[in-house]
Amino acid sequence: MVLSLNSEQLKEYQPNRYPFLMIDAVTEVEPGKHAKGYKNLSNNEWYFPVHFPKRPNMPGALQLEALAQMLTVAITTQNDLKGSITHALEHKVKFKKEVVPGDCLQIEAFVDSWRRGICEGHAYGYTNGEIACEAKMLITIPEIMEQYLPRK
Amino acid sequence: MDTKLTYDQVFMDSFSVSEDQLCADLEYNSIPEWDSVGHMAMIANLEDAFDIIMEMDDIIDFSSYAEGKKILEKYQLIIS
Repeated sequence: MVLSLNSEQLKEYQPNRYPFLMIDAVTEVEPGKHAKGYKNLSNNEWYFPVHFPKRPNMPGALQLEALAQMLTVAITTQNDLKGSITHALEHKVKFKKEVVPGDCLQIEAFVDSWRRGICEGHAYGYTNGEIACEAKMLITIPEIMEQYLPRK
Repeated sequence: MDTKLTYDQVFMDSFSVSEDQLCADLEYNSIPEWDSVGHMAMIANLEDAFDIIMEMDDIIDFSSYAEGKKILEKYQLIIS
């Protein structure tokens, strides 16, 4: 089953909100497998005036957040997980080029495994057809994972 | 398959411990690597190594290196 989510629909699956919602639309999602979408970068982003003055560039931490949020959508579109909050566990990220006002950051996230509340995945962010950032990520839905932990 | 060798190797690989650390004192949260994420990774590695799927209660009860051996008997695995 492949879905697409507009800017309002994706909020059912991605609980972050302004100023921390880093994706604008999900053009394609196959629940439990992958999600694809984008974020448009405008001069009006709150961080551009300060990061940096006269040389605006999307902070790497927020590029990574965009990748993680797209991966979250790939997970939370599965049955009974709508609206679930995910936590980051471990990320490994590379930044290849600046992401600047006027860019469209195309994002593709893939689920490598989803097991007992832990997702291993990877994602890419592209601008103008080139990789701007990429990450391997480990995220969790804590309420699921914690059910399996020893009680000690 | 040498089940003990496999069992020990999973612990050593999952938690980056040496063979001499595999003892009754090795339990959940006794070392930094055996935290919640480490626990889930170790369980997944055991399942892959032994081609089993563990039940939820067994995953919860798997609180130590020693206890794990007893639990795996339920899956017809004798770790001795």
